[in-house]
Amino acid sequence: MKVEPGTPRIVFRTLAALASLGALAGGGVVAFGLYNVSARVGHWPGVGWVLHTTFVQSVKLRAMPEAEVPDLSDPALADLGAQHYATACAPCHAAPGVERSATVRAMVPAPPHIEEAVAHWEANHLHWIVYNGIKMSGMPAWSAPERSAEVWPVVAYLLRVKEGTAPTDLVAQDGGARGDWAAYCQACHEDVSAHVPRLGILSPEYLNKALSDYRDGSRPSGIMEQAASLVPADDIPALVPRMSPRTPAEAVTEAPAGPGADLARRGTDDVPACVACHGPGATRAKAEFPSLAGQDPSYLAAQLSLWRDGLRGGSDVMTKAAMDLSDADIAALAGWYGALSPEIAPALQ
Amino acid sequence: MRGFRHTVTLAGGLVGSGLMSGCTGQQSALIPRGEDAAVQSTLFFVMLVGAVVLWLMLNGLFFYLTRVRPGAVPQRLANGMIIIGGLVVPAVLIGALLAWGLSILPDQQRSGDGLTIRVTGEQWWWRVEYWPEGAEAPIVSANEIRMPVGERVEFALGAKRVIHSFWIPALGGKMDMFPGRDTRVSLKATEPGVYRGQCAEFCGASHAWMAFAAEAMPPADFAAWLDHEASAAVAPSTPDAVAGAEIFAREGCGACHTVRGTDHIGQVGPDLTHVGARHTLGAGRLGATLEDFAAWISHTDELKPEVEMPAYGHLPEEEHRLLAAYLKGLQ
Repeated sequence: MKVEPGTPRIVFRTLAALASLGALAGGGVVAFGLYNVSARVGHWPGVGWVLHTTFVQSVKLRAMPEAEVPDLSDPALADLGAQHYATACAPCHAAPGVERSATVRAMVPAPPHIEEAVAHWEANHLHWIVYNGIKMSGMPAWSAPERSAEVWPVVAYLLRVKEGTAPTDLVAQDGGARGDWAAYCQACHEDVSAHVPRLGILSPEYLNKALSDYRDGSRPSGIMEQAASLVPADDIPALVPRMSPRTPAEAVTEAPAGPGADLARRGTDDVPACVACHGPGATRAKAEFPSLAGQDPSYLAAQLSLWRDGLRGGSDVMTKAAMDLSDADIAALAGWYGALSPEIAPALQ
Repeated sequence: MRGFRHTVTLAGGLVGSGLMSGCTGQQSALIPRGEDAAVQSTLFFVMLVGAVVLWLMLNGLFFYLTRVRPGAVPQRLANGMIIIGGLVVPAVLIGALLAWGLSILPDQQRSGDGLTIRVTGEQWWWRVEYWPEGAEAPIVSANEIRMPVGERVEFALGAKRVIHSFWIPALGGKMDMFPGRDTRVSLKATEPGVYRGQCAEFCGASHAWMAFAAEAMPPADFAAWLDHEASAAVAPSTPDAVAGAEIFAREGCGACHTVRGTDHIGQVGPDLTHVGARHTLGAGRLGATLEDFAAWISHTDELKPEVEMPAYGHLPEEEHRLLAAYLKGLQ
């Protein structure tokens, strides 16, 4: 085929003119408010399907392989996840046996009821969705990007919802609603009492610092930032003494021997001796330093890993102290401290 | 902050000019105060004189042939100069120097007279252990070497994470320190004095601040010092020092530092049992006045970039002063 001289130039000019007109039209829509953002109007036909399919495929592409999902069978995980769900997620997604509010149902897109929301997803997908959130849908990302492992209790709860065996007693929600903040804290820290710190063995000074670090974001945690943010600042001075030591919980037992004992008591040339600040027996140490004897081992292990990896804000000293811990060290220390009898925090002696 | 930096820089400069200046002999391989350094220095000066003489002769010849008597040189004379001057003289001279040099070169690793000092390079300080002959446990110290004059002392050298190099120029040659491998060097001081040692292998951000004082003492003084170094700390009794000891315990300093005779048994950082009696602080970083102690505790990371010890600038100034009183009191 023979191309007339000058034809390419005409094609180019036509395309350029169309592009300019398109840009002008688009700019006009933005600048003059021509697009109707009303939620009442909704999407044009087909757009909803496109958006939803994009969401589903995007999650499936990005979620971790199912093989990487940890063991979530510990019922304490789902119980903890349930309490966080109650304050952070239930306001939009409701709960099994509970209706979404009329206001929530009027959102675009409407947050699906939790039983519907989890129906088509597996644990790996749920983790991705809760951790990342969904852009332009109102679903927020996990507020502490450093703490992706913290999402698993919520996933454990969601799996129970999917199975129809979810706990329905969401105490945290009730406690908060009644302004009974001690009950609100106890819903996780005493009623579940695994994977979370035992508050009764911690000093008021430590608890105050922890709450203040969670509230100002210097100690990242998607769960505790949320929990602490709900308690009015004025209520904290009265709340802390209620949560911190009253009496020693049990009679003091002999500390078990083993690698955890040696490491905690003497340290190495890389690892400071934990007992100097955290006891047992650190009667002269600062009250802000948490006493660790009898603390929950799973919580201790998680926190030590965060310190070691530089993800746990709140103390430069501990960041340096933990930087050379191995996974085996962390397991040994958490196990040893967990097996000790709690001490009374020095501040209250 | 600027005021602090200025003061520290000035103080560091003064300490540095005292310790570092080659002219005072603190850290000069050319002003030897030890047997091995003396040999090295002799070798250096003989080679220097030889090199100067050769340089003068060669340039003299050039000058003669190009300026004094320019023109063609007879073939026989030219051949002679090449064979004699280019082959015979250098071979004889260099051969003689080599034979002499090798004959006097000290064996850096010959064994000592009894005392072994084990030095481990850390980032950026020196872990020091004294092993007198037959000892079953070491006397632990840090950041300072003391040795008796006139005795050959053996140094067993190692390193924790990266390669360092142990060098006291006034006493002898340097020896690299490797993680996971022992190296040895022996030194014999011939004159009492305080010399300066320095890490001589780049080892990270604060390599330049990794130094130490090395004091050669009369043997009787050394024996007395070592006895004292082996003893537990005597708790200082001034009110300031007693208050400082409480802060030391309260802040958990003992998690990393040992003060023998107390319940502070940490091993991460330098042993502080007799830190108040040392010549320098922070491995040669500062002097050892009360002000230096307070500056080190409060501005550790500024004085020694990337140091493992956290700075305690968040404590009130008064507490820095009390801690300094306690530490300086650990004589």
